[in-house]
Amino acid sequence: MASADKPINTDVPEKDVFALHFLQSLSNLRRQNAFNSPDDTTNNRVKKIKKAAYVSMARAAGGTNRLWSRALLRRAAKENNKVVIFSRRKKRVTWLRRSNRRDPVDAERLRNLLPGGGAMETSKLMEETAHYIKCLSMQVKVMQCLVDGLSAK
Amino acid sequence: MDLTGLKWLQQQQQMVSPEFLQMLGSDGREELRRVETYLGKNIFDTIDGCISRTSSFQTEPVKNNEENRAVALLNKRKSEGKTETREKKKKKIKAEDETESSMKGKSNMSNTETSSDIHKQDYIHVRARRGEATDRHSLAERARREKISKKMKCLQDIVPGCNKVTGKAGMLDEIINYVQSLQQQVEFLSMKLSVLNPQLEFHINELSMMADLRSFPLHQQGSLDYSVMNSNQTTSLVVKNDAFSSWDIHSQCPYNNLRTDPVSNFFSLK
Repeated sequence: MASADKPINTDVPEKDVFALHFLQSLSNLRRQNAFNSPDDTTNNRVKKIKKAAYVSMARAAGGTNRLWSRALLRRAAKENNKVVIFSRRKKRVTWLRRSNRRDPVDAERLRNLLPGGGAMETSKLMEETAHYIKCLSMQVKVMQCLVDGLSAK
Repeated sequence: MDLTGLKWLQQQQQMVSPEFLQMLGSDGREELRRVETYLGKNIFDTIDGCISRTSSFQTEPVKNNEENRAVALLNKRKSEGKTETREKKKKKIKAEDETESSMKGKSNMSNTETSSDIHKQDYIHVRARRGEATDRHSLAERARREKISKKMKCLQDIVPGCNKVTGKAGMLDEIINYVQSLQQQVEFLSMKLSVLNPQLEFHINELSMMADLRSFPLHQQGSLDYSVMNSNQTTSLVVKNDAFSSWDIHSQCPYNNLRTDPVSNFFSLK
C-alpha cells in the first residue's frame, strides 16, 4: 500500500460507549423470554451473556470499520441464523490468504485467536490485534465495574 | 519527449538514492557501461539536461503541475524514512509502463549521474548493505518486514510487560498470552454476571446510566444493517417511557433525580 507512512490509528471510544452497548444488549437478552425460564442452565446463560458482551463490544468499538468486528458480528449472526449485510466500499479479496503462506513470520496462533484473522495480511493482522486488545481491555473494565457494582449491593 | 523524460527522471531520482550507495564501486561502472551500449550515448545529453533542471527545482518557484509534484515528492521524501522510499519505488515501478530491464538499466545509469547532485538535495542516506539484493522482490520483502516490525513495536506499547522480551517470536508469544488472558477474563466476568444477576434485573444505577447516555448517538462508528438488534435498541432509546416500563425497577425514584453520583462511582469514568 502506498499509505505506509500514515500513523496507525488505534483509537478506541470511551468507556461509556462500551457500557451503553453492553447494557443494551443485556437488556435485549432480558427481553427474550427464554432467558428467564428457570430450566435454563447456567452454562447457556453464561454463553449468551458472553456472546452479548462480544457483540456489544464489536458494535461499540469497531463498527464496520474494523475487520475483526465485522467477522465477529458475522459469526454471531450466523449462529442466530440471520444474515448480516455490511455496506462496504471496497471488496475484501480473500485470495490474500495465499500471500499469507509466504511470510516467514508465522502468526498462526494469533490468527486463530483474532476473529477474522485468517484472511488478513500479517501487517493488517498486527493493526487489528492492537485495536482488538484495546477494545477487549475496555470491555473487561466495563464488565468489572458492573460486577463490582452489583456485588456491592 | 522532454517533459516526459523529465518526469521519468524525477521519479527515477526518488527511486534511486537508496540504491545509490550500493551501486558504488566497480559494479556501478560496469552496469553503466553496459547500459550505455544498450541505450546509446545520446541519452546522456538529455539526462544531463534533465538533471540540471531537477537539481534547481527546490529553489525555483513552481509553475506547473509536473514541477509541483516533483517538489512535493522531494519535500515529502526528506521527512520520510527508508521504508517509505522503498514503498514508493515499488509503486512507481508499477506505475510506469516500461519494461523491467530497461527500468533497471536506466536506474543504474542515473545512479552515477545523480552522484554529483547528491549533496544538493537532502536524501535520506541509507546505510549501504553489502551483498543485499536490490531486485524488486527482495526490496518489497524488506519493506514489508519493516512495516510488520513497526506495527509490532506499536503492539509492544500496548501489551504490558512486552518490553523485556526481545525478538519477534517472544513478543508474539506475549501478545498471544495477553489476548488469551483477556478473553478468559471476559468469560469469567460473564459467568460472574450470570450468577450475580440471574434475571438480569437492572438497578437504578444502570438506569441512570442509561438516562445520562440517552442522548448518546447509537450509531457512532458507522451504520450496520444488523436488523434485529437495531430495531429493538433504537426504540428503547428514543421512547424512554417504554424502556422504563419494561424494566424491573426496585424503587420508584423519579427519573431525573438520579444524577451522576452513583453513576460516576459505578462506572468510574475517567
